[in-house]
Amino acid sequence: MSAMDPTEVFRQEASELFEVLEGALLDLGQRPDDRELVDSAFRALHTIKGSGAMFGFDKVASFTHEFETAFDRVRKGEIKPTQELISVALAAKDYIRALIEDPQSTDDIIGEAILDDLKRFVFPDQPAAPVAEIAEAPPLAPSESKQTGWHLYLEFESHILRNGSNPLDLLEDLCKLGPCFVVPVTDGIPFLDEMEPEDCYLKWDVKLHAACDKDAIDDVFMFVQDEMKLTLSPLEQVEAPAPLPLFQLLDEEPTPVAEMAAQAVEVAAAPVAAQPPVKAEPKPEAKLESKSEPKPEAKRDDRGIATVRVQAERLDELMDRVGELVIAQARLTQLASSGSDLSIKMIAEEIERLASSLRDTTMGARMVPIGSLFGRFRRLVHDLSRDLSKPVEFVTTGEDTELDKTMIECLADPLVHLIRNAIDHGIEDTATRSANGKTEQGRIELAAVHSGAQVLVTVKDNGGGLNTARIRAKAEEQGLIASGAVLTDHEIHQFLFHPGFSTAQTISALSGRGVGMDVVKRTIETMRGTIDLSTRPGQGTTVTLRLPLTLAIIEGLLIRVGEGRYIIPLSAVEECVELTAEDERSRGRNFLNVRGNLVPFLRLREIMTASGAPDRHQKTIIISTGETRVGLVADQIIGNHQTVIKSLSKLHSDVTIFSGATILGDGTAALILDVAQLVAMAQSKVEKQHISEAA
Amino acid sequence: MNEAHTEEHQVDAMQVVMIGLGEEKFALDAGLVREIIDPVPVTRVAGARAFVPSVINVRGNVIPLADLRIRFGMPQLDDSADTRIVVIEIELDGEPVLVGVTADKVYEVTEISQTDVQQTPRVGMHWKPEFIRFIAKWREEFVIVPNMERILN
Repeated sequence: MSAMDPTEVFRQEASELFEVLEGALLDLGQRPDDRELVDSAFRALHTIKGSGAMFGFDKVASFTHEFETAFDRVRKGEIKPTQELISVALAAKDYIRALIEDPQSTDDIIGEAILDDLKRFVFPDQPAAPVAEIAEAPPLAPSESKQTGWHLYLEFESHILRNGSNPLDLLEDLCKLGPCFVVPVTDGIPFLDEMEPEDCYLKWDVKLHAACDKDAIDDVFMFVQDEMKLTLSPLEQVEAPAPLPLFQLLDEEPTPVAEMAAQAVEVAAAPVAAQPPVKAEPKPEAKLESKSEPKPEAKRDDRGIATVRVQAERLDELMDRVGELVIAQARLTQLASSGSDLSIKMIAEEIERLASSLRDTTMGARMVPIGSLFGRFRRLVHDLSRDLSKPVEFVTTGEDTELDKTMIECLADPLVHLIRNAIDHGIEDTATRSANGKTEQGRIELAAVHSGAQVLVTVKDNGGGLNTARIRAKAEEQGLIASGAVLTDHEIHQFLFHPGFSTAQTISALSGRGVGMDVVKRTIETMRGTIDLSTRPGQGTTVTLRLPLTLAIIEGLLIRVGEGRYIIPLSAVEECVELTAEDERSRGRNFLNVRGNLVPFLRLREIMTASGAPDRHQKTIIISTGETRVGLVADQIIGNHQTVIKSLSKLHSDVTIFSGATILGDGTAALILDVAQLVAMAQSKVEKQHISEAA
Repeated sequence: MNEAHTEEHQVDAMQVVMIGLGEEKFALDAGLVREIIDPVPVTRVAGARAFVPSVINVRGNVIPLADLRIRFGMPQLDDSADTRIVVIEIELDGEPVLVGVTADKVYEVTEISQTDVQQTPRVGMHWKPEFIRFIAKWREEFVIVPNMERILN
């Protein structure tokens, strides 16, 4: 990891921070009074500024500084975060992102314009231009004339020494700014037997007698600002004798202990308690100018211990290895079960257990909550609803639903399409909505939920619903169906997935170009997922994506057809029944009676052109996609199989009934049936039968 | 690699793997060959084109197994003690693809030189000329250097 380019590390970190920032800003639009959000936005900004400066992104640092300064007024509660302000803040965020990712493409003028806008909202009572410097000051301004220095209170995280930071060096740096009066605060030091020799238990109370600027002090602590609390207040000539309140204001328990007491004396000039720490600052809100709030600090700390940053490729590699291990393990199990050596059987069982838990853990490590994706769309909805003047409420649920990270990446584009469609076509304009007795504000729900081995992602709008008649007309016009053909609404809606099909009467910049839904469908299908549309006129449309949990390994049902063995994804299997003699006799009809329901079935022997005599008792596996159920008739059901999916090569891309292949315990390859294709095949067969029966 | 192919008419010598299919001898460009393995159990792919009827497991990868005999309209022989699978890597639509090719016999790795290269005769050929890169002479025998990319496309 140490070989990684530090700039790249910064970019990665920054892009995560941008997500936090954007999320917080968008939430703020809805809940302007939520302090927590303001703080988290502010923290993100601050970290971007700090690490930007550290990695030499000076422009980023200076712009972010101005942004932060302006935003500080929001944080102090002096102004409300209005929608306009949030739009500008988002623009500012985009600008910073551009500065980091592609500095060439940006222009200082844009940045200045954004800052001017920002200032206009933040300081409505002042002319826009020379604001930035003053912005820093407002709370401090009254005392500025008398200010002769700063009063600092330093409290480090107890583990700071382990990271190689030395508070004493920092204090020395501070002394370079001007004469310092440093007093160590020893109340956090525990008894000797409780003391961790590597922890820092000391805190410091510093009076800096120099009229330097606050930034100079910040610079000293830049590298450790996330690991410390810095309380800063201007020092006045008149010292008010109020030492204790300052400490009490720190609402955390004094962090335990110190081995540094002895060393600290070098810097410390006087004994502790006697010295009345200086009281400053008439304005209460300025007393605590802590670098970051204690509560989130603690949260951040937990995360630091619990997570490790790993490159995505390494995880992919790990997954490959686990896949191979699972195959090898399956072979071992098969070998062991064919022999009679009990001890080998025990080992094989042990390894089976280990391999399957290793597989689960590895897959778990690749799982990412889908919320990281949902966050991006809030900006999309915000912008679209502004551009189209359709107020839209965007609701997301199930953000913590986890999906394989590669799937999350693949899902981004399809969801963008679906959400755009929902706003552009789905949600009606305000006038139409109120005419139809609906609320003016439209509503789009993006939800994710686990359903067995699948994840369902739904995009639901409460707009006008699909116009079935218009889709039909368009399909007829394009010659996709004969006029007068009898089709169900559901069948008609399927034309939306047809390439080049668009019913939008006017082409907007956003949608209506006829590309989109077919691409969405194709993308979802390459992920072995399915897409479903349901709509109610006047009430809205719901698009449901069904996705497998992972791309690499599935639970499969191993079956035998003639000499060949095949895998059916277990997630699609509903039940297995025996093909009765009665069903067998109904050769021409190919329907199965499953508890009173007629289910069409396919004979896999015919599809696979199996040779040899069929087994006497044929088995039927009922599979389903969405609403449709189809039976597959096989010779034998062998059992569950951990299926590591291998794709078929281009030479077999013309074969559609198989979605891939896997390797069985004995080392032979077996093909994985493509459930969606088989169902479609059965349905077309049923339709043909209907036609021939009708004729 | 592609460039090398087109220019090979000009290069003096060419390393080839000499294989036998039925009565004929074919010379596969050694640059394409990844490995030669003993026959393994094959898995038939229903609905696949006739010349790639199955897939095999080669070191954990599932790769297609092509049968050149079908492509050249030759009779298929049952596997014998000499039967081998030659794994080659070719480019299909700009992507490298591993393909197994059944050979009734693998003779040797040898060199054929430009002077041995003969023009494809117009007559007496019962296979499509586009499948053949050229015909060379090797030990007083004519051998066919097949165009694998075309055969498998």
